[in-house]
Amino acid sequence: MPYDALDFYDVDSLLTEEERMVRDMVRDFVDNEVLPKIEQACREEKFPDEWRVELGKMGVLGAPLKGYGCPGLSYTAYGVICRELERGDSGLRSFASVQGSLAMYPIWDFGSEEQKNHYLPKMASGEWIGCFGLTEPDYGSDPGGMITRAEDMGDHYLLNGAKMWITNGTIAEVAVVWAKLDGVIRGFIVEKGDEGFTAPEMKGKHSLKASVTSELVFQDCKIPKDRILPGVKGLRGPFSCLNNARYGISWGAIGSAQACFDSAKEYAMSRIQFEYPIASYQLVQNKLSWMLREITKAQLLAYHLSQKKDAGTWIPEHISLAKMNNVDIALEIARVARDIHGANGILDEYPVMRHMANLESVKTYEGTHDIHNLILGRHITGIQAFTRSLE
Amino acid sequence: MTIAVLLKQVPDTTAKITVSGGRVDESAVGKWSMSPYDEYALEYALQLKESGGGDLVAITCGPARASKMLTDAAAVGADSLVHVVSDDSGIDSSNTQSLLASAVQRIGAEVVLCGKQAADTNAGSTGPGVASILGFTCVGMVSEVSAEGGGFVAMRTSPSGNEKVSVSKPCLFTFDKAATEMRRPNVRGIMMAKKKAVETLTPADLGVTIDSPRVTLESHSAPAEKPPGQKFEGAESVPTVVSKLRDEANVI
Amino acid sequence: MEVTIIAETTGDALHPVTAQLVGAACSMGGAPTVICPGGIGTSEASTISGVVKVISAEGDCFGTFDSGAWADALSPLCEGVVMTSSSAHGREVLAQIAAIRDIPIVQDATGLESGIKVTRPIYSGKAIETSVVSPPCAISIRQNAFESPGSDGSSDISTVNNSSDIGVAVKEALAKASERLDVGEADIIISGGRGMGDPSNFSHLYEIADIVGAAVGASRAAVDTWDEIPHDMQVGQTGKTVNPSLYIAVGISGAIQHLAGMRSSKYIVAINKDADAPIFGVADYGIVSTWEEALPSLKEEFGKL
Repeated sequence: MPYDALDFYDVDSLLTEEERMVRDMVRDFVDNEVLPKIEQACREEKFPDEWRVELGKMGVLGAPLKGYGCPGLSYTAYGVICRELERGDSGLRSFASVQGSLAMYPIWDFGSEEQKNHYLPKMASGEWIGCFGLTEPDYGSDPGGMITRAEDMGDHYLLNGAKMWITNGTIAEVAVVWAKLDGVIRGFIVEKGDEGFTAPEMKGKHSLKASVTSELVFQDCKIPKDRILPGVKGLRGPFSCLNNARYGISWGAIGSAQACFDSAKEYAMSRIQFEYPIASYQLVQNKLSWMLREITKAQLLAYHLSQKKDAGTWIPEHISLAKMNNVDIALEIARVARDIHGANGILDEYPVMRHMANLESVKTYEGTHDIHNLILGRHITGIQAFTRSLE
Repeated sequence: MTIAVLLKQVPDTTAKITVSGGRVDESAVGKWSMSPYDEYALEYALQLKESGGGDLVAITCGPARASKMLTDAAAVGADSLVHVVSDDSGIDSSNTQSLLASAVQRIGAEVVLCGKQAADTNAGSTGPGVASILGFTCVGMVSEVSAEGGGFVAMRTSPSGNEKVSVSKPCLFTFDKAATEMRRPNVRGIMMAKKKAVETLTPADLGVTIDSPRVTLESHSAPAEKPPGQKFEGAESVPTVVSKLRDEANVI
Repeated sequence: MEVTIIAETTGDALHPVTAQLVGAACSMGGAPTVICPGGIGTSEASTISGVVKVISAEGDCFGTFDSGAWADALSPLCEGVVMTSSSAHGREVLAQIAAIRDIPIVQDATGLESGIKVTRPIYSGKAIETSVVSPPCAISIRQNAFESPGSDGSSDISTVNNSSDIGVAVKEALAKASERLDVGEADIIISGGRGMGDPSNFSHLYEIADIVGAAVGASRAAVDTWDEIPHDMQVGQTGKTVNPSLYIAVGISGAIQHLAGMRSSKYIVAINKDADAPIFGVADYGIVSTWEEALPSLKEEFGKL
């Protein structure tokens, strides 16, 4: 049965015809290919390879990029894609975010013409998977302190260090890795099979189980000279990628929230306790009405942000607010939805516990909730509060 | 070779149908979709085009809203789009057949594919009627079709199973549920589709005069409510149910 | 009022819906002539009460089903209200006869009153349409919607030779996977859904079907999930629409598309472990139980009948 999304204010009526068609396409993919397989994928801790193939065939990878085999859709369309994918699972949306915003985008924006021609078409088609190496075991919210170093050896670069919490790492053909060259952060393209490069998978996650998470280890890893991204120096490189990914997450979280709301509503309508459906009780109605309220606000927030993104009138703080708010309410909605499901809510027969566990990661990655608060705090006061030194 | 596929936009099969004032309330329909059997026809029309080349023209007869469905057809690969604009309420099946037959003639198609019936009227007169008007061979209840030699080979259901039949051009196939579901579009197709113009034709453009309908709709009504059933807990109730089937319902 | 009925045949005999067509014609004051394509079932047709005459329509074209050729050959023999069964073949031939004769057409009638007022389900039974049409016209009727008259008639049989060119050549006939009763034909149907867990468990349904002479059907979910369950077993929106006297749904939750295909069954029994399954909303008798527990008992009880 086609999915009837919660859209109380009919926000999707503001989308263009093209954006709605893209939405319906991804929705159909999620209904028919993702939802029937997601629980199995989580149990096996695997990202089904057929999803990669299908995402490539649909043409949604790197959707807002133009040229080099990428379609050049609006950022609004990209947001809609993220929302629909995340209704399936945050792990699936993570795959697409990392591929498009974190791996393809830096090559598209900062790469040489040769690099763009070489990598982007194959990444857009899903043939090559990409990953993004910024976070390190000891440097998460503070990436500027990274330890990973690149050394110019004349005819090649030598990379040493380790990255952690890297989505798609083990299955990626292409890694965009940020490392310090002479003390300045630069982007390097590392390929699977490069000497001195390994990407062991991190197992045992209770969250994003259908997504591959890895370490990237560089031990005297030799990188040809033409694999440095020539167009950017410093933290601006990784941060511009993160802005796009965070923007997608602000839409994606709505998808998770919608899925949890739908499940909770259906359950509440059919679950009979004390002779009546629990949906007929005020405490449950209060929860459902709160969910509706928060989802509607999140939808309006995401839509307006998308218009600013497409018009180019956005600032990073706009994105911080939307990422922080929408993930926060999605997580709380997932928790309340689990509560409405009672004990049944912990079973994988219902999607709520999976979304809840996923959203714990989403709250932390791509700038933790608190870091986004600090970004906004700095915007309001002009005083940064990330560290105690006030330099 | 020009391939025509006849499509109809109908309330999505999951949509709730409500009747008010003696008519089905179309304004209460939340979602309109391509009729499911027409989707199969479109998929096989695309396959015919891909295997043998040619131009695939998607044709619909319906009100203004139906144009969106033609764009959906373009997104999966229809080359051109023809919309015969008509008000559903003012025409009967014979009128629709005349309009569609004229549209097929106008584009010069030699093979036509359509669903065996639409999901709203559930009648199944359109395909065979169009074939008859055009003098095309009609093959119904088809689940697969492919080009072979100068003609086509199709699989159709027969009372005793399936039959593989061959037909030559010109011909028309009406589709039952097919072996392959309609493909999903992709972003590229969607972006191309919005650039594709829909040719809008009136009955007058097609030289068809619409007489007043000879089948006069009197009313729509909601189906009679069944009396509430009886529900029993557990397998131990099976003997009770079987005795009710025998003594109350008299069906066994 | 003159009525021409194109007989529905099955193999070498008349299909029961042919007598129902006669009943439907007589109920609205018609005097029916029955045409038997290919000369099949003429003597049986002549005994149906109320039949005015029987025409044995013979011709080479009736050896293969080509609706266009059949319509060409039969159309000149038709007068007044032309009627067929709303089977796939019936509808296809009737639509072409209507186009040739330029007469209005209404398919799949479930009610007829003189006038001629026709009622028929639309939107897969989610609404009923009532319309009015005047002779000459074409009407097909739904199987089991009209009473059959008795069989004490003895009308005359005449033979007409009238063939037409065949455009459809049968290259290969593929028999059904099994010799089992078709869900479209059966008076009792027992259907399984994805709740059966595994296609091999359909064997329990077959065992019960054999006892009561039922056909075995399936939900779309079952057909889509398991290759072993062929599409011709599918009941529902994109499968077959059935209206048997008894429909037993086992492990079928009751998606709206499935309900569309079976809700007009006279009696519906649902067996499902989920007490909230929508199938119970249309069931006359619902049993909340796993199929593993219910089916052995059902088999035993049917065996006692």
